[in-house]
Amino acid sequence: MSDSVFFAIAPLLVVSLGGLLLMMTEVFATRRADADGPSSDLAMGTFITMLAGAITAFALWLVGPDNLAGAKAVAPYLLVDRFTLFFDMVLCLGGGIAALLAGGYLPEHKLDRGEFYPLLIFSTAGAMVLASAGDLLSLFIGLETMSLGVYAMVGFRRGSMRSTEAAIKYFLLGSFAAALLMYGGALLYGVTGKTALAGIGAAIRAGVSSTDWGILLLSMVLILAGLAFKVSAVPFHMWTPDAYEGAPTPATSFMAVAVKSAAFAMMLRVLISVFGDPLSTSWGTGWPPVVALLAVLTMTVANLVAGRQSSVKRMLAYSSVAHAGYVLVGVVALVEEPGTAQGSIMFYLLSYTVSTAGAFGALILCGSRGKEAVSYEDLAGLGKRHPAVALIFSFFLLSLAGMPPTAGFFGKLYIVSSSIGAGLHTLAVLLVLNSVLAAYYYLRVMEYMYMREPAAGAPIAVPMRSGYVRAALAICAVAVLVLGLWPTSSLSMAIDAALALR
Amino acid sequence: MSSFAVLAIAAGLIAAAVPTRGSRTHRLSLAAITAFVVLAIGWLWPEGAATAPAAAKEAVEGADTSPSILLNLLIGVPIGGAIALLFLPRQMLSLVRGFTYAIFAVTFLLSLWLLSVPMTDGWHFQYIADWIPIAGIRYHVALDGISLWLVVLTTFTTPIAAFASFGSIDKRIKELCIAFLMLQGAMIGTFLALDLFLFYVFWELMLIPMFLLIGIWGGAERRMAAMKFFIYTMAGSVLMLAAILYLVWTHHELNGFWTFDYLALCQVVLPGVPGTISPQALCFWAFTLAFFIKVPVFPLHTWLPDAHVQAPTGGSVVLAAVMLKMGTYGYLRFSMGLFPAQAAHAAATLAGLVIMFGIIWGALCAWKQSDVKRLVAYSSVAHLGFVMLGLFGATTSGIKGAVLQMINHGIATGALFLLVGVIYDRRHTREVSEFGGLAKVMPVYATLFVIVTMASIGVPGTNGFIGEFMVIAGTFVSERLNQFGPIQAVAAAFGVILAAVYMLGVVQKMFFGPLSNPKNKTLKDISPRETLALAPLILVIFLIGWFPQLMLDRMDAAVQTTRLRFVNTVLEVSPNPKAAQAVPPGVFSESFLKGAPKKPSADPKKKKVAMRPTKRGGAK
Repeated sequence: MSDSVFFAIAPLLVVSLGGLLLMMTEVFATRRADADGPSSDLAMGTFITMLAGAITAFALWLVGPDNLAGAKAVAPYLLVDRFTLFFDMVLCLGGGIAALLAGGYLPEHKLDRGEFYPLLIFSTAGAMVLASAGDLLSLFIGLETMSLGVYAMVGFRRGSMRSTEAAIKYFLLGSFAAALLMYGGALLYGVTGKTALAGIGAAIRAGVSSTDWGILLLSMVLILAGLAFKVSAVPFHMWTPDAYEGAPTPATSFMAVAVKSAAFAMMLRVLISVFGDPLSTSWGTGWPPVVALLAVLTMTVANLVAGRQSSVKRMLAYSSVAHAGYVLVGVVALVEEPGTAQGSIMFYLLSYTVSTAGAFGALILCGSRGKEAVSYEDLAGLGKRHPAVALIFSFFLLSLAGMPPTAGFFGKLYIVSSSIGAGLHTLAVLLVLNSVLAAYYYLRVMEYMYMREPAAGAPIAVPMRSGYVRAALAICAVAVLVLGLWPTSSLSMAIDAALALR
Repeated sequence: MSSFAVLAIAAGLIAAAVPTRGSRTHRLSLAAITAFVVLAIGWLWPEGAATAPAAAKEAVEGADTSPSILLNLLIGVPIGGAIALLFLPRQMLSLVRGFTYAIFAVTFLLSLWLLSVPMTDGWHFQYIADWIPIAGIRYHVALDGISLWLVVLTTFTTPIAAFASFGSIDKRIKELCIAFLMLQGAMIGTFLALDLFLFYVFWELMLIPMFLLIGIWGGAERRMAAMKFFIYTMAGSVLMLAAILYLVWTHHELNGFWTFDYLALCQVVLPGVPGTISPQALCFWAFTLAFFIKVPVFPLHTWLPDAHVQAPTGGSVVLAAVMLKMGTYGYLRFSMGLFPAQAAHAAATLAGLVIMFGIIWGALCAWKQSDVKRLVAYSSVAHLGFVMLGLFGATTSGIKGAVLQMINHGIATGALFLLVGVIYDRRHTREVSEFGGLAKVMPVYATLFVIVTMASIGVPGTNGFIGEFMVIAGTFVSERLNQFGPIQAVAAAFGVILAAVYMLGVVQKMFFGPLSNPKNKTLKDISPRETLALAPLILVIFLIGWFPQLMLDRMDAAVQTTRLRFVNTVLEVSPNPKAAQAVPPGVFSESFLKGAPKKPSADPKKKKVAMRPTKRGGAK
């Protein structure tokens, strides 16, 4: 059985089949008018589907991707290696948490329509394809599958102008980015005559003529720009705050977590397999200076702007941009320290996933219908009124700020370590200084929650009650603590996964 | 020993007789505290001189049997207590308070246990466990004669701060208790950690409870002050983190295995000649900056007056008594321990800086303050200038004086903040001009204030005198300070005079003269609760002032080792501007290196692959 092709791509199949099943269930489900909405069962179904996907991926990890004969049948369109499996787990985790959050959020805010969950599942499936794609074609299919679902989720609150605006913005810029990527890919195909990433990389390494080198550079720039859109690096981040703010919060959490992780997976694959040759990775003629510049801009601009926000959701959006900047520092370190840097990026994405999903989840928990927590003022005095909610929110914020002993701290430490090992001392110092800037706005949330009283007559956020959201937060909190205090096993998994991609 | 028991009973009886209008519990508590202190003196008193060498010899053999779990308990009990407190109902105030006191009592008794082991050369109570083996991070805690006193200071002052806080703070008691317990656990951890990763974890962990203490229970500008405190400290410490990682990488290049252990990283000499910009200099300054911010040293001190003024009394006490010592301790242990050449090179300049801008300028600033709490805050800048001066001089007397002065400052300034808190609770102002002639309405308070002032300005017979004298004496003869030593000693002595000027000036204005302000006429004298909080501090002022040897004896070996290591490394390692090198074997003593990580022999291939695959694997 273990040489069957179905077995090799089981995580993807499990998630997709689960999605189809849930979609059909929803279509034929009959509900009485007074019954609970579709979220009551779909959220759990989606979570279980994702969990099954993650467990299957872990099972394949234990079997060992090298022992999967079936994997060869789908290569190079879908590569099944430890890198893929690691990202499958991260993406399923992110998607599963988003589903749980949606299970609480959608009914509370009268958005309870069943479409959300299939969209979420198929987006996740697209992200998983993207993370495992070893060919330009499958890469593009994965990218579009993932993005289309997310576009729809962003515009899910149809009555709201803001949500619609966000969806349009995200759709336009997202298509633009996809077009850039596509154009870059087309140029690559033109130069090398191949669509498989490994094949293109081999052709470039074998040497190209100087005219072709020019085209190659152009395609590199186009692909980097497209990737930068997807990971929302400055100056390609303009859509992020609007889209994140307008979208329903579970969708925001999914975008911040899963979409970003998948985009980084794509970035790692493309940069390592295609542009891994000495010329492309040199500081004179290749991508490192561009990515370094992107990293510095992303961290600094995002942190400075995030400090000026009055909406917590927007602040979290900018913070996710800033985190992309930290990861980009790790990407630059790939050149000198490929193994450590990749391990650090992957561990960072894992820790970032649980911290960010937790932070958005806590923000969801802070507000109920009509009394949503949006601005800092809404949160004033929350620490006194609802200490447990405030405590868990603070915990995730501290993880994002990189305070020990949380996952965020170890992730950041490891990225800084890999960049110092790669000799990028300036970037490392800029990164740590940026985390001081970032501490300011994370702490400001705590300041409002613990150290202020709400102004007289001001709207007060009332926490909602939802077992789904609480469960999601519990999962995230345990993960943040475990990754922060005992990172050994997850770290060695990340490093093993990194080794696969060389 | 029995004579001390008699003395203790006598002292207890006298203490019980002191309060003129005290209740029975008040008298009993005072008597208990006094008797306890006298017993402690007796317990710490060195046995007969003839038996001392034998005891020391026995101790060397017995050192390994010291219970290594003790330090874990010291760190774990407060932190565990804080977590347990989360689950106690917030309405049951007496339960919450009682639980907190119980935890503090346990920690304090555990820390007294530390004193039972003779502090011979090397590490005591060492406990090592693998934590994150893949990155070479270990849980490594150990104690020497220097950290011993700082740990005891922590377990001694934090309960007092909490006790005082419960008197004046009545909102959100549960959070307050959690913050104090977390703070105590993290502070103890910082003093005990010998793994730089662990040290950094505790160092940062400490910030959050302090941030909350200032920000929730502080004064009018508390939010700004809390934020400033946090951002300032974090800015310094992240640079230290980068430097730690650089050191770790260099160690890996040299020795081929990962470790964050202090004992291993001590043996790495980074490339660089003192006086030029080099990795060594940059890393030294990254560490030193973090510590200087904490101390604080001019011009990085601007967070301190705000934090102190805005913090509640209990927060100020912990901040002054313990947290500022993190900076001086860190400089002694890490900046001087890891980068001796740089520290030696910069010593003379830095000593000039702390004298000019710490001791003298800080004193002048304190003189001009109209707010008493701000005045005490600036006096901290001046006092910690003395501590730093002792460390820069790097003579035995200087370092001992510095360590003693760390304790002294903790006791005296802690007591001063408590006293300022007393008057603030009554009048809700701290402006000196609001007061005058207070001695007439609050005689006991005035007496206590004068005693603590004497300790703070270093009058003989109090603890401050011993520390300052040793530091100045050390500065005078220091080789590190070249020909400037004597001049600097004189300038520092001038700072002592200035301290007397501003402290006595404020005492005169507040307590003596006519009782001009009618609002002060009805002030109540110090309450039993407040006396109880102050009593231990005042007793310890005299304990150290009269019997400094009790403390100096126990830190002697550790100070000698630290100093010798510092001096020897400077002498024996010739600077190399290009490449990192290892300290030659034999410079560090065996007892110091006990517990240093060894290169893992089992399966080295896997280890290497795990952390760091071949270079440029993807490219070629």
